[in-house]
Amino acid sequence: MAITSVKNLKEFSTANDRFEGAHTLCPGCAHSMIVRELMNCTDDNLVIGTNTGCLEVSTAVYPFTSWDTSWIHIGFENAASAIGGAEAMHKARKRKGTLSDNDAPVKFVAFGGDGATFDIGFQWMSGAFERGHDFTYICLDNENYANTGGQRSSATPIGATTSTAQAGKHSYGKKEKKKDIVSIMAAHGAPYVAQLAPNKWKSMAKGFQKALETEGPCFINTVSPCCTEWKFEPKDTISITDLATDSLMFPIYEIIDGHELNILYRPKNVLKVEDYLAAQGRYKHLFKPEYRHVIDEIQKGVDDYWEMLQRREEARV
Amino acid sequence: MPKEIFELQDREVWDGNYAASQAMRQANVDVMAAYPITPSTPIVENYGSYVANGYIDGEFVMVESEHAAMSACVGASASGGRVATATSSQGFALMAEVLYQASGMRLPIVLNVVNRALASPLNVRGDHSDMYLGRDSGWIQLGAFNAQEAYDLALCAFKIGEDHSVRLPVMVHQDGFITSHTAQNVYPLSDEEAYKFVGDFKPVDDMLDFSRPVTYGAQTEEDWHFEHKAKQHKALMDSRPVIDKVFEEFEKISGRKYKRVESYMMEDAEVALVGLGTTVETARVAAKQLRDEEGIKAGVVAIRAFRPFPFDLVRDALENVKSVGVTDRSSPGGAMGAFFNEVSAALYTTPKRPLVTNYIYGLGGRDFSIEDAKNIFREQKANADAGYVTTDIQQFSGLRGPKLGFFQTKRS
Amino acid sequence: MQDIKLKATEKRGLHELEAGKDLLGWDEVTQGSILPSFEGDASNIAHLKQEERDYSHYNSYTATVASWRVVKPVFNMDVCIDCQNCWVWCPDTSIISRDKQMLGIDYDHCKGCEVCVEVCPTNPKSLLMFNEHEDIENALSQWPEKKKKEKK
Repeated sequence: MAITSVKNLKEFSTANDRFEGAHTLCPGCAHSMIVRELMNCTDDNLVIGTNTGCLEVSTAVYPFTSWDTSWIHIGFENAASAIGGAEAMHKARKRKGTLSDNDAPVKFVAFGGDGATFDIGFQWMSGAFERGHDFTYICLDNENYANTGGQRSSATPIGATTSTAQAGKHSYGKKEKKKDIVSIMAAHGAPYVAQLAPNKWKSMAKGFQKALETEGPCFINTVSPCCTEWKFEPKDTISITDLATDSLMFPIYEIIDGHELNILYRPKNVLKVEDYLAAQGRYKHLFKPEYRHVIDEIQKGVDDYWEMLQRREEARV
Repeated sequence: MPKEIFELQDREVWDGNYAASQAMRQANVDVMAAYPITPSTPIVENYGSYVANGYIDGEFVMVESEHAAMSACVGASASGGRVATATSSQGFALMAEVLYQASGMRLPIVLNVVNRALASPLNVRGDHSDMYLGRDSGWIQLGAFNAQEAYDLALCAFKIGEDHSVRLPVMVHQDGFITSHTAQNVYPLSDEEAYKFVGDFKPVDDMLDFSRPVTYGAQTEEDWHFEHKAKQHKALMDSRPVIDKVFEEFEKISGRKYKRVESYMMEDAEVALVGLGTTVETARVAAKQLRDEEGIKAGVVAIRAFRPFPFDLVRDALENVKSVGVTDRSSPGGAMGAFFNEVSAALYTTPKRPLVTNYIYGLGGRDFSIEDAKNIFREQKANADAGYVTTDIQQFSGLRGPKLGFFQTKRS
Repeated sequence: MQDIKLKATEKRGLHELEAGKDLLGWDEVTQGSILPSFEGDASNIAHLKQEERDYSHYNSYTATVASWRVVKPVFNMDVCIDCQNCWVWCPDTSIISRDKQMLGIDYDHCKGCEVCVEVCPTNPKSLLMFNEHEDIENALSQWPEKKKKEKK
């Protein structure tokens, strides 16, 4: 694979973007930061499948496409199957010698939001991982169905308000915990699984490169703060991501071959989750005295998970 | 090239499933992505055995659902190679979302549909509920009435769908169990003849041609969607002469003649039965016997290409008869049978407007006998003599319990 | 001072998104609603800068979202240290960097989100938001002085 140097940002910035502007993602959207970074990580040709979601409805609205590579969208759930089919066709045609350029290097990538990944497309993704297609699945996790106006998904954390799990007089928002998608995908035995965040651009770029280089199905959950539904100013996307990673709401780590866990980022000063929650309108109601217990519950969940990650890393199993 | 050569006899004893899977093998399919479901499972199993024994050099992707099967077919087809799969019934229903996507993207996937009823109640036997579910999906739909035809039409399907003036997906239907599991004599082409007929796949908008990156599956809202769907419909309508041409070419190499509408004893027919699938062969036997035994001038009109619907050919075939029984092997769900409606619409545009009656029959694999077909002809004869439909306009044929029917002729 | 059409080819930012372009008839739209991104051979696209590419008129590079902005970032190259923070985090591919140097803003594709200003580490910042209608030269003349560190 022809990888771009990510030694430092100056080197990285010589990559030639293949994701064009005048897409219709919201100003300040983290999705496009993540997509640009993925595409800038490699010089190889890319075949990209995208599940229905913000990214899809904003980047291929007839008569315009923002993609300088091969790209396909079918439905909300099936980008992993579509890319699996494309990857199978590449194998068949390469063997038969019917490709227009039999030696052109290519990488297969599927994007899905958390709605597509955690919920409606879970089966399609799981099947593609079991079959072992050589592709990288990247979840753009903004913890809600942002494309349709902010409904709950199984990635929505406890305590967040969404239009279908609302905070109200008798509700503190979503009651259920977020699904642990990273562990689930690691349990598929995938050779490379990681959770990455765009504020930590270098670990993200290296993780993307590792996933693209690794043969077989790789999964990356990326934190994608959503100014529209998380309710913060578009300019603050990166600072909110800083709060997410430094409060350990989104720990940055990788799991190799389903078991070898490495923590990729250890905040020097671990922030309280309260600092992260307070920066977003979706958690505003939690700061009423009657919902203090929810914040405590979130903090405990974060502490426990971090403890588990550290123990697993130390155990080297 | 596959590692092994498959030995074929001039005459084989194959069921419809085996025949279809042999056509897939001979067409040198690049990607088959599939999920098994009764009664089409053996197509996938047979193909799997060809893979295991070195007769296939394409990819065989066994996915986790029919929805994923068609999704993988779409991704594979957009990647510039030959793609096929098979399904039935519930699997077909699960695929439905992606069927529309495949045709909308103009991808020439071949889908072998072994027709089976849709639950509930659960039923594994043949009727046409799944085929009807696909009728607005923008696919070409060809109907085989026996194993030989399942083989022949599967080969034709690649050549039709992949034609650059068509670029549409094609379903080849055969009736569950009656065709799919009944071993019959089949005369296959040699591998060389079959592949030469189908030809090399010629990619269009190939996702693996990196000199020309393409975006598949763009969103089109009110400013654009209508134009795209109209263009797609036009392509489907314009596939008619291509289907005719491919059938003619196939006749030249096989001696077997196919037409989009096939008439049997219709030259002087007074009454006719219009049907789909294996029913056609039963009706032909009944028509012949009735002519001999009761002097009823009966004929049969069979629809080979259900989509694009041969409106003009149906009209030409039926406009001179007096009374027509149109058979629907699918639960009509609160309306007249869909096939009845389409045939009636065609006949409405003729000067003489034959009488038309709708028969709902054979649901869930209920046998449709020669005697059942004769009864339909006899009722048509009574209608022809009376000058109006003497029975209910929609009747259930072969059903236990009190006679079930709806609507009567309005007479002044 | 940066040119407003910095590195733009004649195709960049030609169309308003909402207007699309000419609404074509059914006989003229692309088969299968498929959109080719480039004219001619694009095999080498990862090695070409935007201004060296032959975009098709279906590529959103040829569209503009400038009308989304009410405020715009202005770039002051005198203060910039070419750290490329703005480049890596711009969600709209609107930071024009060439050969490790930040050159300015693509005003056809910038939506004015202000992320670039937020992530700029210089003192004073090398990117600041101004009213969309502010003249760039005028904006540069108002640039603030270096802030002194507050003593703790």
